[in-house]
Amino acid sequence: MTTDATGVAPAQPQNGAQARTDPGAVLADIAGMLRELLEEYGLDEAEIGRETTFHDDLELESIDLVSLSGSLREHYGDRVNFAEFVADLELDEIIALTVGQLVDFVVESLRATEAG
Amino acid sequence: MKIRTGDITTHVQHLPAAVREGQQGEPPVVVFVHGLLTDSLASYYFTLGPAFAAAGIDVIMYDLRGHGRSERPSSGYQVECFVDDLIALLDALGERRQVHLVGNSFGGTVAAGAAAWYPERIATLTLIEAEPPVQRWTRHMAEGLALAKEQLVHEEVIDWIKENRGAQTARLSRIAGRILNSTTLGQEVWSGRVIDDDLSAITCPVLAIFGEESGLVAQVPLFESALDRCRTVVLPDQGHSVLVERTKETRDLLLEWIREHDLPQHHDGHREHRGHRAPVHQLAEALR
Repeated sequence: MTTDATGVAPAQPQNGAQARTDPGAVLADIAGMLRELLEEYGLDEAEIGRETTFHDDLELESIDLVSLSGSLREHYGDRVNFAEFVADLELDEIIALTVGQLVDFVVESLRATEAG
Repeated sequence: MKIRTGDITTHVQHLPAAVREGQQGEPPVVVFVHGLLTDSLASYYFTLGPAFAAAGIDVIMYDLRGHGRSERPSSGYQVECFVDDLIALLDALGERRQVHLVGNSFGGTVAAGAAAWYPERIATLTLIEAEPPVQRWTRHMAEGLALAKEQLVHEEVIDWIKENRGAQTARLSRIAGRILNSTTLGQEVWSGRVIDDDLSAITCPVLAIFGEESGLVAQVPLFESALDRCRTVVLPDQGHSVLVERTKETRDLLLEWIREHDLPQHHDGHREHRGHRAPVHQLAEALR
């Protein structure tokens, strides 16, 4: 998060040319973010694919998903609004969330801003 | 992001208010305070937070000390430490508006402490299944925490929780056991400052939401008689987990409450405190 009041510069969104929008590349980017997160728990060997679930497979807590939102913002800037994405989900859907669902959301968001 | 609040580093998530057509002046700001041990700001991030930002309210969510991704010092867990963290957080964020404080369970105890001890910073107080830091509360906590500390270290207890309450609750219980056994929280949280049983220290408007089947609902008569400006809501067929099990009703009640208390024009004398705030502190440290 950032606001002017904090005196912290907002994360700079990457340009369309830099942020890769094909699903394979987005999956690789998100897997990288997740590995960074898992490293903090000493779990850097996890296999991460589209079907991987955040809670059951990676054993991430919901607070880790909040941290992931910070990584997404750093990487994609305001083009990807994770808070808005989860606002549309029920709690049991969040618990069952897969990496592939998040990848699809990111790809869709990036393409929407490109088109606009 | 993480920011320095007093002697610890606190994990904060801020969702800025969506700009609303015809909006004048600054939007209201709500601060959500989560519960003890098995909880974190995620409980709000995945329930009320985004909806409030979308409704044109600035949303501040943070992890209490010892919880989530905030720092976990080995000691310093009296309720006033949590309250001071909250005020230090508002200072670090340069927050000059009076805030609408919302606390769930123990978060409500912290929020009530802040309303009692820093009334000039608080616009309204909402307690979701919570008890203010009165003498009676300290007894409940001391007993509950001693039991939890003893039980949650045993694998067979965690296994029982897994079988009967699910894997997610079991994992959170394991984390709770770890907090209790690596810090003095269990001995300290109930041993600090209290307010008088008559709640006279709380002067701002109070919204209190309870589950009908929760023990905490017994406070309703006290709240209604002791607090000048208080609205109590009891949700039928509901236990303690109001926030996650009755999210939509809680959201609607709270949005209506904030709108009522944050209209553009105020003729209410209590609003005259606006503008007389503690000096804005510089953000001591910002880590991403």
